[in-house]
Amino acid sequence: MAQDSGTRTLISQAQFRRGRGRMIYWTLLAVVVVGFTLVFIGPLYWMVTGALKSGQEIAQTPPSLFPKDPQPQNYVDAWTNLNLAKLLFNTFYYATGAVLFQLVLDTAAAYSLSKLRPVFGNVILGLMLATLMIPAMVLIVPQYVTVIDLPILHLNLLDSPFAIWLPLVANAFNIFLLKRFFDSIPEDLMAAALMDGATPLRTLWSIVLPMSRPILGVVSIFAVTAVWKDFLWPKLVMPSPETRTVSVGIYAFSGGTPMNVVIAASVIAAIPTVIIFLIFQRNIMSGLTTGSLKG
Amino acid sequence: MAITTVPGTTRRPGRPAPYPPGPRRAGLGRKVRDNLTGHAFLIGAVLCFVVFSWYPMVRGVVMSFQRTRRGETTWVGWDNYARIIDDPSFWTAWKNTFYFTLLALVLGYAVPFFVAILLNEFRHAKGYLRILVYLPVMLPPASALFLFKFYAYDPSEAGLFNAILTALHLPTSEWMQSPGMTMPAMVLASTWMNMGSAVLIYLAALQNIPGELYEAAELDGAGVWRRIVNVTVPQTRLILALLAMLQIVATMQLFIEPLILANGAGTGDSATSVAYLIYQHGFFQNDLNGAAALGVIMLVVLAGFSAVYVRLTAKQD
Amino acid sequence: MSVPQYRKAAALALVAGLGLSLAACSTKSDDAKNDASGKVTITVDCQPVGSQKELLKNWNDDVAEFQRQNPNIVIKSVSVGEQCNNPPDFTARLAGGTVTDIFYGYMTDLQQVLDSGQAMDVTQYVNKDTIPTWDSVDPALKEVFSDGGKLYAIPVKNYSMGLVYNKVLFQRAGLDVNNPPRTWPEVRAAAKKIAALGNGIAGYAEYSAGNTGGWHFTSLLYSQGGEMLTPDGKKADFNNAMGKQVLQNLKDMRYGDNSMGSRQLLQWGDLLTNAGAGKVGMFIGAPDTTQAIVSQFQGKFQDWAMGPLPGQDGPAKATLGGGEGYFFKKGLTPEQVKAGLKWIAYQKLTPGKGQFDYVRAKPQNYPVGLPQPLLFAGGSDAQKQELDLRKANANVDTANFAVFEGNPVPIKGEPRNAQAIYAVLDAAMSGVLTNPNANIDALLKTAEGKVNQLLAAGS
Repeated sequence: MAQDSGTRTLISQAQFRRGRGRMIYWTLLAVVVVGFTLVFIGPLYWMVTGALKSGQEIAQTPPSLFPKDPQPQNYVDAWTNLNLAKLLFNTFYYATGAVLFQLVLDTAAAYSLSKLRPVFGNVILGLMLATLMIPAMVLIVPQYVTVIDLPILHLNLLDSPFAIWLPLVANAFNIFLLKRFFDSIPEDLMAAALMDGATPLRTLWSIVLPMSRPILGVVSIFAVTAVWKDFLWPKLVMPSPETRTVSVGIYAFSGGTPMNVVIAASVIAAIPTVIIFLIFQRNIMSGLTTGSLKG
Repeated sequence: MAITTVPGTTRRPGRPAPYPPGPRRAGLGRKVRDNLTGHAFLIGAVLCFVVFSWYPMVRGVVMSFQRTRRGETTWVGWDNYARIIDDPSFWTAWKNTFYFTLLALVLGYAVPFFVAILLNEFRHAKGYLRILVYLPVMLPPASALFLFKFYAYDPSEAGLFNAILTALHLPTSEWMQSPGMTMPAMVLASTWMNMGSAVLIYLAALQNIPGELYEAAELDGAGVWRRIVNVTVPQTRLILALLAMLQIVATMQLFIEPLILANGAGTGDSATSVAYLIYQHGFFQNDLNGAAALGVIMLVVLAGFSAVYVRLTAKQD
Repeated sequence: MSVPQYRKAAALALVAGLGLSLAACSTKSDDAKNDASGKVTITVDCQPVGSQKELLKNWNDDVAEFQRQNPNIVIKSVSVGEQCNNPPDFTARLAGGTVTDIFYGYMTDLQQVLDSGQAMDVTQYVNKDTIPTWDSVDPALKEVFSDGGKLYAIPVKNYSMGLVYNKVLFQRAGLDVNNPPRTWPEVRAAAKKIAALGNGIAGYAEYSAGNTGGWHFTSLLYSQGGEMLTPDGKKADFNNAMGKQVLQNLKDMRYGDNSMGSRQLLQWGDLLTNAGAGKVGMFIGAPDTTQAIVSQFQGKFQDWAMGPLPGQDGPAKATLGGGEGYFFKKGLTPEQVKAGLKWIAYQKLTPGKGQFDYVRAKPQNYPVGLPQPLLFAGGSDAQKQELDLRKANANVDTANFAVFEGNPVPIKGEPRNAQAIYAVLDAAMSGVLTNPNANIDALLKTAEGKVNQLLAAGS
């Protein structure tokens, strides 16, 4: 999508090159660049510097643009008091597991539904898709009582990462994405493999998966984002301080911690993902846009 | 309430391809084996669906007609529903949730669309702008909301927004402390932190619009606005419809914004959402059964929405 | 899409690194009950968290010493956060059955613990042999942890609320630091003077969110002589002249005098943050809020003093008291219960040990000399011992609390279903503190309706 400067959009290229159009274009661009920088970076700047201010400085009117007497101690306190290292580790640990579980189980399921098509496959798919319309909030209570006492097994998954990983596998959206992508893989390829005597597993591994890298990337991003953004579920199923995620941990501490330290913790918590995002942004962007759309 | 990417903008799912032309003289045993293999691949995901999705759905309905006290569960008929509906916050919560959904549709739904159209026109700084818009999505939701709560929405003159308003000689607001501003303020924060994904999706959809359509429209004398209405919107209709649905489902679950920004109920119940009420009943008032009943009510309402949605989109095709 | 090689490598390394830790992390200790060697193991929660360094060290030292004295008992400590009973987490642990063998709870939690089916009747085990100071423990405290004549928890802390005030601000506002306001009109006058100092200072601060608003409403109502519930506990009893007076006082200060600061919707930490930053003149609270201001919110002990809870036109009719205790999880063996009682007796109920080890606490940034925790009945042996120790080791100026101690106000417990009721009354408090045109009658009427409904549901 970066190389599309040649394609025609809403307003034709030619208009931008001519006198008035050109001026409007550049003015608008400047306004948007400055405006977006203020709107999206401004608050982040405020956050980073605000956490350096003292409690008194925060309450002063009008607010100061630069911290007059920077208090890096706020960041140190945030790091040690909230045990942020542990919280961040937990979050990444849950995210990694979520990716692995979804990649393995959802891919297998989508492959089966798309290519192996066992009896009742369509019924199962229909039942899965039906859950798309059911928001998590509706099921939060029964899901919660299920997790604290799994039917038949009578296991309690509280504080266990499986309480986050397994429910995420039940993600009809990802299965649907994967299935549609697999649907587009030509049947003759499959037939050829079958003729060669390849087992379904072998076909999946050596033919389907290599072709599906973009969609697998998309599913992985969704899996990570889901863990990263989720709040209430991890709050409920990970009640111990040792097992909390970053978001839940910061929230839990916000009640008994000075405001500046809470903000400092928020800044630190945001750093790793922002860095990962900036490094992989091209892959993430193109994956999100092309991968899912062409699926 | 992240808005996720959406499949199927360009075409409807094709009809399933024919069954793979395996060896023709496949016997019954072979068929059984093939089916077993197929189900073996399915079993992991299906089990997860059974345990964490299908079964809880049934269980939720069952729970909503039961009451557990001192470890003993009894059937209580519609008592839980009656109690939930009698809760003076019940209607307020629905009103607030719908209001939020509506505001979010105006702000959180339309704004990303126009931002995407704008970004799509630029030939410069594209990557930079895209990263900017997506950056807040990367923040942990609690981080972003604390930023708004403590700095932006500070009701005194020391708050960021109030400082800006004062500098511009505009009237200030008490933000989360003023019942009228609670919802708009929450929508604003929520849009800021979530709009990145929607913008990206729209951008991708916009790039799939054939340039000739615009050219033809322009030849017909259509101005910029007319071209948006007559070309851009119809061409992205499917994705617009899908995102609208996803957005409604997401905003109906409004929870973390009231919890963090408004410390729960907000001033005079102005922030109470249905999801928050579920949480209140389930985990503050020790009333999991009532919470389950409210969940079922929410499910019914959303099912209604879905039905309307399916009717509308089906007609369009 | 071709991915540059280094990115691929980086991604791979990331995944591999996390994958490794995946294997290393999932170790969950199962609590063995009585193992072969005859040792009794019990899990206990509310261990202080890492940020409370000295408290944590004290706790761990206590555990070590206790285990040395009782080689056949193993204590496994569990930390559940800075606030040991955060209602939603507590509910989650109860519903999930993940409470520890001996678990911390508020006095108001008894009904909920009973409802969850996790409570254990320990009446038969509790006596002078298991807890040597048991006979000195205030009978009223035993009563609140009993239901139908059965005891379900051991009280370990008890408090009552008064008026906490900042001496520095009092001085600057020209008020008498040794003579805090005794009535609400006096509080109002003082708050006005303190707020006049400007700089965003609130003369009087009050909660209105996160259940703390309702909690303080209750205390304010008690000061007026009111009750939250009717004697049978079935109906709300605050929608009357006294309840209205509570809200009217706040409204007058907030909007009449503008002496409560502009930042409202405060909950526990918010108010104490402001207090620690020297922006709050007065608020109501228990003596140990000063400790939180110092240890968690960067304030100073010497700035704070305390008087009794004010009344409307004389001393307060009553004040809110509350407290904490340890419950026992259903299904423990008699040996475990006895071991648990022994631990509680050692760490919480022995003058000179555990929480009463004032010699140890004195040099630490931890106050000795606060009129708390009021566990032992007045005149009992244990109370005298504790008082002597406290006086001998005081590290805060006891004069700061003299007015509070010298003017005792009758203590009243929290209502049944307290947390749920508090949540309802948050709305009334936030209504009056954030809306200049709030209709007090309507706020109370709504709250009354909600509480009645909630009580009807609970029975």
